[in-house]
Amino acid sequence: MKLVVAVIKPFKLDDVKEKLKGLGVQGMTLTETQGFGRQRGHTEVYRGAEYEVDFVPKLRLEILLDDADVAGVVDGIVEAAGTGKIGDGKVWVLPVESAVRVRTGERGSDAI
Amino acid sequence: MLEAVTNIPYPHWLNSGDNTWQLVAATLVGLMSLPGIAVLYGGLMQRKWVVNTMLMAFTGFSLVILVWVLWGYNMAFGPFAHLGPTGSFWAGLIGHPHPIVTHFGEQNQAVSGANTLIPFHFPTSTLAYFQVVFAAITPLLFLGSLLGRFKFKAWLLFVPLWITFVYCVNAALIWGGGFFAQKGAVDYSGGYVIHLAAGVTGFVGAAIVGPRLARDKNHALPSNLMMVAVGSGILWLGWNGFNGGDPYYAGVDASSAVLNTNIATAAALMTWVALDMLFTKEHKPTFLGAINGMIVGLVCITPGAGWLDGYGSIICAVFCCTVVWVAWNYLSKVRPFSKVDDALGVVYTHGIAGFLGGLMVGLLADPGMIQYGVAGKVYDAAGAFSVGGWFYTGSFHQLWEQFLAGAWVIIYTAIASAILFYIVKFICRGLREKDEVLEVGDLAVHDEEAYPRETFAERVTSLSRG
Repeated sequence: MKLVVAVIKPFKLDDVKEKLKGLGVQGMTLTETQGFGRQRGHTEVYRGAEYEVDFVPKLRLEILLDDADVAGVVDGIVEAAGTGKIGDGKVWVLPVESAVRVRTGERGSDAI
Repeated sequence: MLEAVTNIPYPHWLNSGDNTWQLVAATLVGLMSLPGIAVLYGGLMQRKWVVNTMLMAFTGFSLVILVWVLWGYNMAFGPFAHLGPTGSFWAGLIGHPHPIVTHFGEQNQAVSGANTLIPFHFPTSTLAYFQVVFAAITPLLFLGSLLGRFKFKAWLLFVPLWITFVYCVNAALIWGGGFFAQKGAVDYSGGYVIHLAAGVTGFVGAAIVGPRLARDKNHALPSNLMMVAVGSGILWLGWNGFNGGDPYYAGVDASSAVLNTNIATAAALMTWVALDMLFTKEHKPTFLGAINGMIVGLVCITPGAGWLDGYGSIICAVFCCTVVWVAWNYLSKVRPFSKVDDALGVVYTHGIAGFLGGLMVGLLADPGMIQYGVAGKVYDAAGAFSVGGWFYTGSFHQLWEQFLAGAWVIIYTAIASAILFYIVKFICRGLREKDEVLEVGDLAVHDEEAYPRETFAERVTSLSRG
């Protein structure tokens, strides 16, 4: 099992979600988050005082998958979330030791 | 039978139209404080200081009302204590600190040096309430300079002292028929007594209390711009009562004052937006800039709302807003302004704007703008009360009187406020909360926060504090 983590631009969520549904993904977890990479941040001005805002609003997706599905899903996210401009985000994959479905107690691949 | 027909349910001296407008105007002014200033300042402060800001506003307002009815009203607007020979400064300094909370005190016809030309058409309770909402907003205005570090206990002590020894003195001298009123200085609705005094007190207080935490100053992001919009809107339209109530009669000049107030405010708001778009580095219009302009417009027309005409109102607003904009952006970078942490910039939008507005009366007041007729005379004939500025009279006399009264307010308010701050500092063992309290904010001072999250909270069976 693997955990796919993707940080994407907020307005790309619908595209990514539809793409992954099309690929048969059963569920995902979404978190509103802030971050910066090469895009850096922006400036805000309140009452004449300037503030540097380094962190940009992003969405963080977490998807638990069988090893065999990982490559397709990662490609799907990259395709759906991309605009070609700086700040499109990142996708990374982690190994997962175990998983349990809380309602039934099913374990491993059955829990996905 | 005839008697039953002609009976009216109130005394012969009362005019229901005047009394109604005065009570409505007073209520509009009260709304400017609660919720106006509470949500405007709450919205401008960081999230962690919203509760503290709002509670200081509500407690300050309450304290002033109590001070006012127990001794303040008669000090400012009652008969003078005559501490010196007739005509001297001391004779026209302050009234007797008598309460007005008896049935006679509340229900008799209002009599005050605030107007000796024609009798008031409403009772003392109406005049006292109208005047108290002005007194009550003043500490709330200078609160803007002290936010984010002022000790709550110190606030509760400072407000009654300041109203008694600063506000009542300025009000008696300029409004209550005191020394400066007799000399001929005028202040239609409080450009000096309220805004200039608030700006000076806020600045002096900010210097004595000390700055906010460096971290707070560098992260002073407003908590809620929509609340700023709500508070500012209430402030603007509430000002119709602020300036429209000050002729004390629901007559022609009340109408002019309301219109001029809105003319000046619109002109100043657009001036600030234009200056932001033309001369800032970003060349962008900002909402909070527009709100600064709005406040400058309201404040600068306050000393002369019913004495300037519409043209005068526009000139006054554009001039005052330009000066305050320059001060806000450049004067703030030089000493002493750069060294004093005036949290919301009260010294600019209230202090400088109030002083300039008061001087503008000496230049732009149109003697054709009649505040009211005088007993025994035809309304608009000789004897009617109006003010003439240099532009119409060619004389600098009124400007000089305005300058003297303004200089008095600046010097007296600065010295007296400083003394009061040091007295309170001594009693409360300091004016600034400890750093560990300042790091946390509302939760440390009040055990409350502006946006509590129900997810993480669980009710305990008894109060843990015992």
